[in-house]
Amino acid sequence: MFEFAIAGISAPIFLLVLTGMTVGMVGGFIGVGGGYMVTPALIVFGFPGYMASGIDVMHIAGKSVVATIRHRQLGNIDWILGLTMVGGTMMGVEMGVRLLNYTKALGLSGIALLTGSVGIMIGLFLYTQIETHKAQKKINELTKAGKTVGRELSVSTLPLFFQNIALRPIVRCHTARIVISMWVIVIIGIATGVLAGFFGVGGGFIRVPALVYIAGATTHIAVGTDLLEIVVSGGYGALRQYMSGNVDMIAVWFMIIGAMFGAQFGSIATSFVRGPAIRYILSYSLVLATTGAFLRLFYMLTAQKYEFLNFFAVVFTLGEMIFLCLFIMTLVIFSVRHRHGKWVPGWIPSLVATP
Amino acid sequence: MNWLLNSMFAYWVVLLLFSLGAAAVIYFMWLKDSLI
Repeated sequence: MFEFAIAGISAPIFLLVLTGMTVGMVGGFIGVGGGYMVTPALIVFGFPGYMASGIDVMHIAGKSVVATIRHRQLGNIDWILGLTMVGGTMMGVEMGVRLLNYTKALGLSGIALLTGSVGIMIGLFLYTQIETHKAQKKINELTKAGKTVGRELSVSTLPLFFQNIALRPIVRCHTARIVISMWVIVIIGIATGVLAGFFGVGGGFIRVPALVYIAGATTHIAVGTDLLEIVVSGGYGALRQYMSGNVDMIAVWFMIIGAMFGAQFGSIATSFVRGPAIRYILSYSLVLATTGAFLRLFYMLTAQKYEFLNFFAVVFTLGEMIFLCLFIMTLVIFSVRHRHGKWVPGWIPSLVATP
Repeated sequence: MNWLLNSMFAYWVVLLLFSLGAAAVIYFMWLKDSLI
C-alpha cells in the first residue's frame, strides 16, 4: 500500500505497475496509447477523475517514445502524414485540457470522464466489430478461391471519398501511399487532440481508426504514425496537465516502469499478426473496459451505496487487463509455431501475418 | 483439450473466465479494504 499524497489516496503499487504493463503491451501492439483503458481504470481504483487524466497523459508521453522508436525500426511511420497532423493535434489538446479544467472546477470531472469514455467505447466497439466481420469474410472468400492474402486488407470505401476532396494543399504521403487534402489530416488532428486533452489519452483509439477509415492508411502505418503523433500530443498534454496540478508524479513513475517492458513486447508482436486480428483485440478490449467504467459510473451516481457495483467494476477492469496480456501472448506463441510448421488451432492461420 | 483450442469462441470464453476469476481473487486478497 502506498500513500499518493498529491492524488490524496492510498493504493497498492502493483496495481499501477500492472496497469502500465498491460496498456504498454496493448498500446505497442494495437498502436493506441492504451489511455482509453487507463483513465477509467484509475478512476475505478479510486483516483479523482482529473488526476486520472493527468497521470494517464504523463505516462503515455514517456511510453510512446519507446514504442515509436520500435515502430520506426519496423518502417511503420509515415513522417509526412504525421508531421502534417501535428498543428491540428496541438490546437485540439489545448481545447481539451481547458474543458477538463472546467469540469474539475465544477467537481464533475470523474463523472464527465466516465460518461464520455463509456459513450466513445460503445461507438468504437460497434464500428470495429462491423469492419472486422467484413474483413474476415473477405479473407475467407479469397482463401476459398485459392488466392494468397497479404498482411493488410482494405474493405471500407470511406477513404476514397475523403481522398477525392480536392481542397489544396494536397499532401503526398509516400510511405502510406495516399494522396489527400491537408485539411482532412488537420481536422483529424484537431478532433483527436480534443479527446486527447480531455480524457488524458494519446488519442490513438480514435486516430488509428480515423487514419484507416478516413485517410485510407493501412493498419500498420496508422499504428506507427499514430504513435509518432502521441509523442507530440502526449508531450504537450502532459505539460498542460502538470501546469494545471493534475499529475501525481510518483504514480506516473510506477506506471512507466510497467509500460516500458510491455511496449517493447507489444511492438514486436505486430510483425506476427495481421491487421484484422489487431482490430479484433481492440474491439474486445473495448467491451471489457466499457463494462468496468459503466459499473463504476453507476456506483458514483448512486452515491456509492451499492458495494457490489464497485466489486464488479474492479473485477472487469482488472480482468480485462489480464485477459489482454494473455490473449496477445498466446497469439504470438501460436504465430511463431505456425511459422515453424508446427500444429496450431484451425482459426490461427487466418489471423497471423505471412512473413 | 483439442476442442477447446480449435474453437476460437471457446478459447476466448475460457481465457476471459480465467482472467475475471484471477481479478476477483486479487480483489479479495489485496484490494477489498483499500479501495474507495
